[in-house]
Amino acid sequence: MRKFGIVLKYELKEYVSDKAFMILTVLLALAGAVLLFLPRFVDLSDFTGVRTVDREETDEGEQDGDEGVKDIYLYLDEVGILRENVLTEFFPGVEWRAAGSREELIAAVGREEENTATREGAAEDEAQAGFIITGETEYEYYVYNKSMSDSNTAVFDEVMRQLYRLNYSDRQGWNLDEIDAMYHIPITVSEQVLNKDTGENFWYCYVLVILVFMLIVMYGQMIAVAVTNEKSNRAIEVLVTSTTPNSLLFGKVVAGAIGGLFQAGLVLGAVLLSYQANREVWGGQLDMFLHVPADVLITFAVFGLGGYLFYAFLYGAMGALVSKTEDVSKSASGLMVIVMVVYFFSLLQLDNVEGPIIKVLSFLPVSSYSTMFARIAMGTVAPWEILLSFVILAASIFGAGVLGAKIYRMGTLRYGNPIKIGAALKEIRKENRNGKAQ
Amino acid sequence: MVLEVKEICKSFGDKEVLHGVNFRVESGRALGLLGRNGAGKTTTIRILMDVFHANSGELLLDGEKFIPGNHRIGYLPEERGLYPKRTVMDQMIFLGQLRGMSGRDARKGAERWLKRLEVEEYANRKLETLSKGNQQKVQLASTLLHEPEIVILDEPFSGLDPVNSQILKDVINELIADDRLVIFSSHQMSYVEEFCDHIAIIDKGLVTLSGELKEIKKEYGRNRLVLAAEDIAPAQLKEKAERILQGLAAVTGEKKEFLILELSEGADRRQVMERLAGSDISVERYGSYEPSLNDIFVEKVGEEA
Repeated sequence: MRKFGIVLKYELKEYVSDKAFMILTVLLALAGAVLLFLPRFVDLSDFTGVRTVDREETDEGEQDGDEGVKDIYLYLDEVGILRENVLTEFFPGVEWRAAGSREELIAAVGREEENTATREGAAEDEAQAGFIITGETEYEYYVYNKSMSDSNTAVFDEVMRQLYRLNYSDRQGWNLDEIDAMYHIPITVSEQVLNKDTGENFWYCYVLVILVFMLIVMYGQMIAVAVTNEKSNRAIEVLVTSTTPNSLLFGKVVAGAIGGLFQAGLVLGAVLLSYQANREVWGGQLDMFLHVPADVLITFAVFGLGGYLFYAFLYGAMGALVSKTEDVSKSASGLMVIVMVVYFFSLLQLDNVEGPIIKVLSFLPVSSYSTMFARIAMGTVAPWEILLSFVILAASIFGAGVLGAKIYRMGTLRYGNPIKIGAALKEIRKENRNGKAQ
Repeated sequence: MVLEVKEICKSFGDKEVLHGVNFRVESGRALGLLGRNGAGKTTTIRILMDVFHANSGELLLDGEKFIPGNHRIGYLPEERGLYPKRTVMDQMIFLGQLRGMSGRDARKGAERWLKRLEVEEYANRKLETLSKGNQQKVQLASTLLHEPEIVILDEPFSGLDPVNSQILKDVINELIADDRLVIFSSHQMSYVEEFCDHIAIIDKGLVTLSGELKEIKKEYGRNRLVLAAEDIAPAQLKEKAERILQGLAAVTGEKKEFLILELSEGADRRQVMERLAGSDISVERYGSYEPSLNDIFVEKVGEEA
């Protein structure tokens, strides 16, 4: 235990004295915090689509004054059904102008190429888009370059429908406003979710599953590379003859866990706390990602850390099976496949947390790190299930640690070609038999 | 303190690399473990250090089962290396602590040995910034910082220049004088000859020769004589000697300055001397042959080391 502490301290010092690691951690945390504090100082509503409280206040003041630069769209109504108020209602940021003829409209839209660069200096006869209404339910749309986000036709479809409804109502002598009010009668609901709101919890579970997956892959790989480095720089023989492989691997993995927890914790903490402090400014728009209840966070931390440790020991062992850092990815590819499969199953099953697949996965040590907290966040889980899953995970972590240390010890002084995991396990069994025989 | 290695066998996969290695070494003495590349020296040492487990055989210290973790052992592996990105002092303290020292004692030990090996000015430098020779001295200092009672050095002189080799020689002599048990593996016979009272030659996983070096030399030189003549090179002397000494001795070796003769069965030195005295050979040197360790090694292992 003392030697484990010595290794842990030494390995932790490596993280702490790694300037790149520390600077990256602080920068990520700061970047997250700054981004979430930004709406307090800068209007981001156009960029994020989030209309902040401040913006709403200033918008009111703006309404009477400068309206800003608007896009210019042309229309030509060949059947005489158009009502300009409908156009402005559906296209609030657009200045509509009537075209004298089909040719004039097409020519104006055709000159839009130069307009895009100098929108403010657009000439009178230039437009970004044009519509020619050719029938009660038909129109033509003209645009110079159609962007991927161009939704003008979808909106104009609605304009046409509304015009049709208005004209039809007029012909029938109906009051369309009354009919509309009847169709859209407001309903008042008082919702009381007695347990979990899956819809509300879904997205942050989704984010946390991705986060824990990234942590396992990233830090697992770091641990594997660190072990291989010890082999490649030949320090390993001095180490394994100075202390037990258990102390070395456990110290290394736990140090990696603390390093990872520190980095992820600081960044996640900074982001969550910053959002909490600015939730009102954001108008609660990011609640689905960043308003995570404390109990879910604690479950995530416990199971996430457990899963991380489980995989970290195995990654450490995989690192011991190769002699060159460039072979680490190949050696750890089997583990990577397991992590990926668990990741996809976890995400696919998030909308079915009461289903049998996720229930089974939540007890398996390879997958409980992401599925159990998802079940807790979004479903109904009995305390005994949580406890059983945790006990299985804890036992598996210990088992993975001991097996990892054995592979680590066996693989440490085998240089040359990468050792296959099957051959390593066979060798360990043989060593154990020899040990018992002696 | 007597360390005994008895009938050690070791296999990797289906291949047996050690077929029953035996030797013994005691405190205040140094054992030279000799062998060609791949003979099994390092595997034997790694079994001693509990890095590998033997398939059979036993290791005894003073008649009891030898458990490396229960003793202070200084091990300098053949594959040398420490942490290149960490400072010398930092990793020496770490290793000292792993071997049971307190942080303070480990620092003191590190300072003492870095000074003794004349690399104390690099204590706070990263290892990767040191020359290969100085890195090797740091590694040796790390091996000895906890004042081990058993010292196992696997090819300690490789990579050292003559000045550093001399420092290391002095250190090893001090260790032997200080009653430490030293096991020393090397290809360089001159060093082994200099320090080791006992040798064990391993060839293809088997100890083919072991014992006290003085006795081995005596045994190897028992029926052998050296012969040199004035104004005639050994190559010409060989032909002449073979003719003159026919029936009494055969020429078994030819060195730069003399021939090695082996007495035939029933012949003695006096008869050879009388035959030489009656010949036209002007004898410059005649006497007992004391083989060098290199000669013994080559004869035993069959190829120049």
